[in-house]
Amino acid sequence: MNPNEFDVIIIGGGITGAGTQRDCAMRGLRTLLVDRSDIATGATGRNHGLLHSGARYAVNDPESAAECIRENMILRRVAAHCIDESDGLFVTLPEDDLDYQKSFVQACRDAGIRADIIDPDLARRLEPAVNPDIIGAVRVPDCSVDPFRLCAANMLDAKLHGGQVRLQTEVTGIIKEGNTVKGIRTHNRNTGEDLDFYAPIVVNASGVWGQEIAQMAGVKVGMFPAKGSLLIFAHRVNNMVINRCRKPSNADILVPGDTVCIVGTTSSRIPLEECRNVAVTPDEVTLLITEGIKLAPRLSSTRILRAYAGVRPLVSADDDPSGRNISRGIVCLDHETRDGIKGFITITGGKLTSYRLMAEMATDMVCKKLGIDKACETAITPLPGSEEGSYEEVAKKIWENPTVAQKAAAARMGSRVARIRSGDRRDEALICECEQVSMGEINAAIDRLEASTLTDLRRRTRVGMGTCQGEFCACRAAGLLAKAHGCIEKERADIDFFLQERWKGNFPIGWGDTLREAEYTQWVYKHVLGI
Amino acid sequence: MRFDTVIVGGGLAGLIAGISLQKAGKSTAIVSTGQNALHFFSGCFESIQEAPQQVLDIFNEAGIRVHYKPGVRLMPMGTFKESALSLDDVSLFPTPQFGKRVLIINFMGYHDFFSSFLAEGLEKQGMECRIRFLTLGELTQPELGPNEMRAVQIARKMDDVWEKVVQEVRVLLKDEDTVILPQVFGLKDASVPTRIRQGIPAQVVFAGTLPPSVPGIRTQMQLKKRYEVLGGTYLMGDRVTGAHVYQDVVQNVVTKQLDRHYLEADHFILASGSFFSKGLVSNPFKIYEPLFELDMDYNQDRNTWYNPTFANHQPYMGFGVKTDANLQPSRKGVPVKNLYVIGSILGETHPELGSGAGLAIRSALKVTELITK
Repeated sequence: MNPNEFDVIIIGGGITGAGTQRDCAMRGLRTLLVDRSDIATGATGRNHGLLHSGARYAVNDPESAAECIRENMILRRVAAHCIDESDGLFVTLPEDDLDYQKSFVQACRDAGIRADIIDPDLARRLEPAVNPDIIGAVRVPDCSVDPFRLCAANMLDAKLHGGQVRLQTEVTGIIKEGNTVKGIRTHNRNTGEDLDFYAPIVVNASGVWGQEIAQMAGVKVGMFPAKGSLLIFAHRVNNMVINRCRKPSNADILVPGDTVCIVGTTSSRIPLEECRNVAVTPDEVTLLITEGIKLAPRLSSTRILRAYAGVRPLVSADDDPSGRNISRGIVCLDHETRDGIKGFITITGGKLTSYRLMAEMATDMVCKKLGIDKACETAITPLPGSEEGSYEEVAKKIWENPTVAQKAAAARMGSRVARIRSGDRRDEALICECEQVSMGEINAAIDRLEASTLTDLRRRTRVGMGTCQGEFCACRAAGLLAKAHGCIEKERADIDFFLQERWKGNFPIGWGDTLREAEYTQWVYKHVLGI
Repeated sequence: MRFDTVIVGGGLAGLIAGISLQKAGKSTAIVSTGQNALHFFSGCFESIQEAPQQVLDIFNEAGIRVHYKPGVRLMPMGTFKESALSLDDVSLFPTPQFGKRVLIINFMGYHDFFSSFLAEGLEKQGMECRIRFLTLGELTQPELGPNEMRAVQIARKMDDVWEKVVQEVRVLLKDEDTVILPQVFGLKDASVPTRIRQGIPAQVVFAGTLPPSVPGIRTQMQLKKRYEVLGGTYLMGDRVTGAHVYQDVVQNVVTKQLDRHYLEADHFILASGSFFSKGLVSNPFKIYEPLFELDMDYNQDRNTWYNPTFANHQPYMGFGVKTDANLQPSRKGVPVKNLYVIGSILGETHPELGSGAGLAIRSALKVTELITK
């Protein structure tokens, strides 16, 4: 068998692509996934990390709301180690219309979402961080989810089912014979190698860049990118997701995630050319802080860790170039019936919460085209790491008295954490103190999760995501990467890139402790380390 | 409590001012939070191109071994930087080609010393490198677990067992002309680096680690001891929380520990550092000096504080307290008569005084001269 031939090729290493590869691989297909950079670099890794209950969409988009609650309940089971079942509140502030609550609750119930109106006093007790001035509260089954972990677990399971993953691999062309897509041309950005890969079906799961990929295949998909900016705070101020109970608007969701919390988002349409380099503006920062404080006043005295922005891959479902029919729902396009181009599918739109369903829809279409009759099992088969319940149980199974670092690792890796226990105490050496990441976990991410740079490691292990934002752990981890890849020269460039990425998220909020930390980093890297 | 001069801040600037004032017969007190820039000192005094006798005397009398030799020094990640005045720990070379064959020594399980980066940097200069990891029983005992392999913890162990390291290196040494060791020696005793050099039959170069800096902490302890021997009062672990200014003259300052006792003096010196040490404070709307609310030299528009490229010069690092030629500050345009500002809280407002350690030392000596005149 030709090693460059597959049953299906998936373009895009976001959650949709990774989920689709997993589903295809579980149905017995030979799969290849390519991404021009790393997993979860687009919209997947640049959002709230909210596993929607669907409540937010209940009033305006009942279909999406119903989808969300179904997927929410499924993912709690199959992706347990990526999800924090925190629950959520929809709160009404004195300036909001309390009447909205009634229609909101009714809409939730219609969509199948449990929504309980609770006494504001109870809400304040359940979530002490919430604005004490609230005049109404509804409890809904929102959760928080770690999108990086979720994406990595999907990719890992695809590999365990024989899938191949090629990162840093850019698609430079679509190979066609007449009106039939036969494969893809790629360029490896690390090695410079140009390779062709063949498959009867190519799935375009490249999010906001789907328009460019579709163009290469000779079809038109109209993307309408919308930028959303968010702020990460350095402490987990709230334990429940806090939403504003009003018509969806700017900065009205505060999500707890691991050791931090995230407020967002803004929404503004941007041209496609700007998608690769979105920046948070000072006005957006001001708006996010002002609105965020209304949800949880404690945020006013909490250090902001980072500002970042993502681009929602909104798409017009038909050929309407004006974008009037923009959908926030799932868009799964069969280009054979739509455009007469065989062997090409685009899966886009949707949400992080509905990624599994999107993958199922795309895979069903792939299977139908290939004449394969095998049912989807992703709704019942746990992801690697999620087989054995809570991280505390996992940690206790492995270590008699797990340390904080061991518990943190179990929370990140789920049952996979057993693999990093080597018996060598040196593997326990802490590389990142803020997030308690050990050498063993970093080496596991390098060996098994395709991490080749510091930013890759950050997505997979949380190295450098803590309060110091990678002050020292960047250098330590760079040492391990250099050892694994044997190239110091590349690691030097990698450190520079990491510091620049970090600064990009820091300077829009560069005051107080963030500025202190930034000044310290300047001294340490320029004068002490000489970089 | 009354002194001739009270100094706010016990880093390099505050200590040099304190020592030279004590030497001039003044009675002084230093209020220090305990943490300062010496804790991540590279071992090289930046922006000092010459070596005035006055400075060398201060260091010599404190037992701090320094040498002056314009050239380059080896940086922790294998690059080189121009340097002149350094602690003895730091070797200075006329060119980066300081050897032919190099043995780089690291400790097993120590991730804060970058042996592979050093080797790559030196190989670029045409040197041959060999890396060896020492496994010392002292570093694997339960009390020094894998999570405590940091410079200062290792240095505490090394104070007792450095001779063992010398012996290990002698065994490992083949035909190398140079040995590189991490800067984790002589935390208590400044003579240890020299004695290690004498014990190893090759050129010994100490390369820096991730902070905290062992030579920096030692230097801070030596300066503090010298200051106290000269009769200075070093209030460690305390913080000035308030100041009383009456008719443009600082009357006294209040500290957290001393409670209701004031520190009174004829002169006050502000050496409280920049942002990191909280000598300067920033919020989304302004940058200010929190203790006296002194006039600042900076641009109020936050968008001008940063350069989006990390590696470029950052404008905020140039901001500082506005002072006249005598380093005297003002409040709302009115000069404060008995207050002086020294060290990194000046930012880049006095480029003629240099930056970093150079700025700290020069501004401290200048103010000493003005006060004792």
